[in-house]
Amino acid sequence: MSILLGAVAYDPKVVSIWEGIRAYFREQGVDLDFALFSNYERQVDELLAGHIDIAWNTPLGHVRVRRRTEGRSRSLGMRDSDRDFHAKVIVRRDAGIRRVADLEGKTLAVGSRDSTQARILPLHFLRQEGVELSRVSLLPFDTDLGKHGDTGTSELDVLRALTEGRAQAGTVGDLIWVNEQAAGRVDSSRLEVLWTTPGFDHCMFDALPALDDGKARAFQDALFAMKWDHPQHRRLLELEGLKEWLPPREEGYASLERALDEAGGW
Amino acid sequence: MSAGAVAIDGGALPLGGGLLALLRPALDALAPGGVVALRSAQPGVRQDLPSWCRVERHEYLGCERDADGRDRHLIRRGSLGVPRATDAAPPAEADPATGFAPRGARVEPGGPPYPVTIVRRAHAAPPEARALYDQAVAAQWDARALPWERVRPLPPSLERALGQIMTFLAENELSALYVPSKFVSRLHPAYAETAMFLATQLSDEARHIDVFLRRARAGGGGLGVSSVTTSRSLLALLAIEDFTEAAFLLSVLGEGTFLDLLRFVEQEAPDELTAELVRRARADEARHVHFGVAHVRHAMASDPSLAARLEAAVRRRSASMHGIDGVPAPIQDALTILAARGDDPPSVARGHEAFRALLAEMHAGRLKRLVHAGFTSDEAERISSLHTPNFM
Repeated sequence: MSILLGAVAYDPKVVSIWEGIRAYFREQGVDLDFALFSNYERQVDELLAGHIDIAWNTPLGHVRVRRRTEGRSRSLGMRDSDRDFHAKVIVRRDAGIRRVADLEGKTLAVGSRDSTQARILPLHFLRQEGVELSRVSLLPFDTDLGKHGDTGTSELDVLRALTEGRAQAGTVGDLIWVNEQAAGRVDSSRLEVLWTTPGFDHCMFDALPALDDGKARAFQDALFAMKWDHPQHRRLLELEGLKEWLPPREEGYASLERALDEAGGW
Repeated sequence: MSAGAVAIDGGALPLGGGLLALLRPALDALAPGGVVALRSAQPGVRQDLPSWCRVERHEYLGCERDADGRDRHLIRRGSLGVPRATDAAPPAEADPATGFAPRGARVEPGGPPYPVTIVRRAHAAPPEARALYDQAVAAQWDARALPWERVRPLPPSLERALGQIMTFLAENELSALYVPSKFVSRLHPAYAETAMFLATQLSDEARHIDVFLRRARAGGGGLGVSSVTTSRSLLALLAIEDFTEAAFLLSVLGEGTFLDLLRFVEQEAPDELTAELVRRARADEARHVHFGVAHVRHAMASDPSLAARLEAAVRRRSASMHGIDGVPAPIQDALTILAARGDDPPSVARGHEAFRALLAEMHAGRLKRLVHAGFTSDEAERISSLHTPNFM
């Protein structure tokens, strides 16, 4: 019984991640192999065509799989870091922006148009807060399209534009915002957080409804047995950006589905 | 470390503006489940702190307003990646995943295992290691301080003999530099005192090699011959892959035998400089022997099968020397001439007797050290008689 998993090669480290996970799964007696795609659209198509068993999907990829299988796809697991993700609206301290309504008339730097955390959801939530986006001047960084924001490049572009004064406000995911601050790379005398969006969930292992139960169980058993305190596992978990694999849950994707309904993007 | 609770004042520091330098150590000092109460006058922290806690897997419990209007954030320390305490004393068995972490440090779990193979205290850390290291540091000496300018040429036969002896000593000391060095990187760093002692041993050998070669050259006689017997004997030593076997063969038997050799050279030295440098080298070697005996005695005390294994190692080495009988001729002749102080036949007869007496002293010395290391007198007798004719 072999499992073919799809992942998107958004960075050279993706090869190290899946080579490592493949070796680990094989030690666990699970014959896992992987195929790398250059973009999530192709990966989703190949999953739906039955060419791969499991796709490691962004939230955008995940909700598309849900939609195209009419909610019957099987979700297998997610990272701890995928739960309760938030987006942040960061502002320059000198911009005089005290609340989200003040964004009107200002320049708002945003990430790639297929980035859930840096573009799709922060704009959706700002609209819900009553911000008239047509009165906000968007400065978009549409880098790495097809990678759904995985590279983080557009979020770093947003922070750079803010630091350099090309925008008064910008939207990024909380992960990048916190990590950049923790690493001392944010000038907090110039930038501060204005607003935090409601929470949403991020990546998911997706499979078709027809996935063999044995494969699904073998995959999940091996996945959930990875431990942060184990040297070999920890290296892989660090590369993949998590401390613990968790079971799937669907409620964290409702806001993204609404956002795509409202603004298009399905 | 306690689960407990601790309060810290973050002033107006933003999360990315220094606050973490206060918060992280406070959390680090708590066991999982412990709570930090962070007072803050920085509004942005209300939004950044929950995100940071999410990423770091701590639990953000919420924010209260203090009487003075400042925020009071409560954070419960998470349970992932909690550093584990390590013993301040050498552990009976060391974990390769603690790497170079100094003993007694708290070590984050999940570190990579190091390729160390000497991981048991009984074979790595004799209790005397620390004291012998201190002695070694205090006993270091500078070869340049010796009165080299006072060296005068000796009669040609004596000069040649001295050059040969110094050549032999330097060659053997080179092996005593190489053999321990290969075990330093295999020693678990939890037994750092042993690695540190070996570092002094290597430094001692380097100094000895230097002074022996300088003495050979100082009188104009130059170096002597390197024999196949010596070369084969030292290769058998270099080939040993077990630390305790190597310590036994090199330090207890080899360097132990060298103590008697050096005493002989000192007694028969043709000038004060030679006597002095050999005396100093012997004091260093005595420390190496002391450490080797302590190492073997400590290992034997916890491993009843070790005596037989060490005897087998001596037999294997002896087998590799089959067909070679007697001390290498160049060194035997040189020691004889040295003790004769010249080459007239009656003196050479005395020198020959002195050489024979040296062999007997070496055997007696080995027996004493072997018994001290924990062997029975029968075992000691067998092992000593199998010892290499090369002395080292």
